[in-house]
Amino acid sequence: MVSGLSRRFGAVWAVQDVTFMLPSRSVLLVVGPNGSGKTTLLRLLATALRPTSGGAAVFGLDLIRDADAIRGLAAFVGASPGVYDLLTAAENLRFAAAMYGRPHESVMPWLERTGLAEVAPHPVRTFSQGMRRRLALARAWLTTSRLLLLDEPYGGMDRDGNQIVDVMVAEARRRDGSVVLATHEWERGVKIADTVLALAAGRPADILPVDRFTASGLAPVTGGRR
Amino acid sequence: MNGLLRAAAVARKDLLVEWRGRQTTTATGMVALLMILLLGFVIGSEPGRAAAVLWVALGFAAVVGIPRITQSEVEQQALETLLLYPGSREHLYWGKSVALLIMLAALLVALLLLLGLLFSVDVWSHWGALLGVGMLGIVGLSAIGTLLAALVLHVRGRELLMPLLLLPLALPVVLGCVRLTEAVLADTPAGLWPVVLVAFDLVYLLVCPILFEVVMEEV
Repeated sequence: MVSGLSRRFGAVWAVQDVTFMLPSRSVLLVVGPNGSGKTTLLRLLATALRPTSGGAAVFGLDLIRDADAIRGLAAFVGASPGVYDLLTAAENLRFAAAMYGRPHESVMPWLERTGLAEVAPHPVRTFSQGMRRRLALARAWLTTSRLLLLDEPYGGMDRDGNQIVDVMVAEARRRDGSVVLATHEWERGVKIADTVLALAAGRPADILPVDRFTASGLAPVTGGRR
Repeated sequence: MNGLLRAAAVARKDLLVEWRGRQTTTATGMVALLMILLLGFVIGSEPGRAAAVLWVALGFAAVVGIPRITQSEVEQQALETLLLYPGSREHLYWGKSVALLIMLAALLVALLLLLGLLFSVDVWSHWGALLGVGMLGIVGLSAIGTLLAALVLHVRGRELLMPLLLLPLALPVVLGCVRLTEAVLADTPAGLWPVVLVAFDLVYLLVCPILFEVVMEEV
């Protein structure tokens, strides 16, 4: 449950008064033009930022007071993959597994699922942008988190990559988890979402079930883009 | 136990990245080498000056190398991911601090060997004591350095700010190490300097991890 969540950078409100309820086994699609606050909203929910006002309860945990516990339940994949160029794909995932307290877990299943098994021993600096994003998804996937926060997950991905995102979201839903997905490619997003939250200048312009969502309704908040 | 594993994972990752990139080692090594050569030429290479030259060189090398332990995370755009792993951020501090300690220890060994050659100092017969003093100094430098590296992370002009913060705070450690190294090389009593060094190290080790968590709360 997100209630009046707001975040200000200096004098500018990046996110203001966002309220919504996200039940388990559901997917929220966040849409809006550049600068509408999509990434800030996801970073707030991931506890990467502290809200200026308002708050949220994530699986019953308070966003501010229980930030550390929420970090154990949530996996955030940001617009930048956040992987180490000088480490191999397998080493990157082994590091992530160790940080989640599972240092001896095999990372190969996650690399296979993201189509990176063959390049597991290769340094990430040799990877394309899409492969880096796949690796970031694999890192989030291995955490088996209950809350998935995906920022522009389809960006720079090929068709197989897009399918990986969809499978990952479906799996999180099956695990009784919730997914918040922010993307410009809302045409893809609406296929897997239950609810759509449209943001405009940091404020919620509309929130509605996906079956009532129409491109023409979205156009005013996305600056006319359909 | 989990915290120890997380700290070990951070240290291992930092050392692996450094081993493959050698950015910090190259920068600190070059600065230390230039300082030793420069000071050797300017003030002379008498054995009595070796201790001061060693620690001044190591201090300036630390000023160059320490910011890199967190700056490299920013350059890789991996800092946010690192901070979002569950668990106390103190574990990140300990991991980064241990990685820095190992890098500075390697530099210290190289500098001691160089000093033995250039300043005609009998390093071999005092090897154990010199390493002991060196470790006391490096523990202090790593402890305060890891905190400061986090503090200046998003500050413009951090290259200027780092020496301004590190050198005064590390002065008691550097001074203590110079006096202790002199005592070891001259086979004279060390006085209270070991106590001073251990006291500063303990204070830094107790306070810095807590402050690191506060500094990293929202970067």
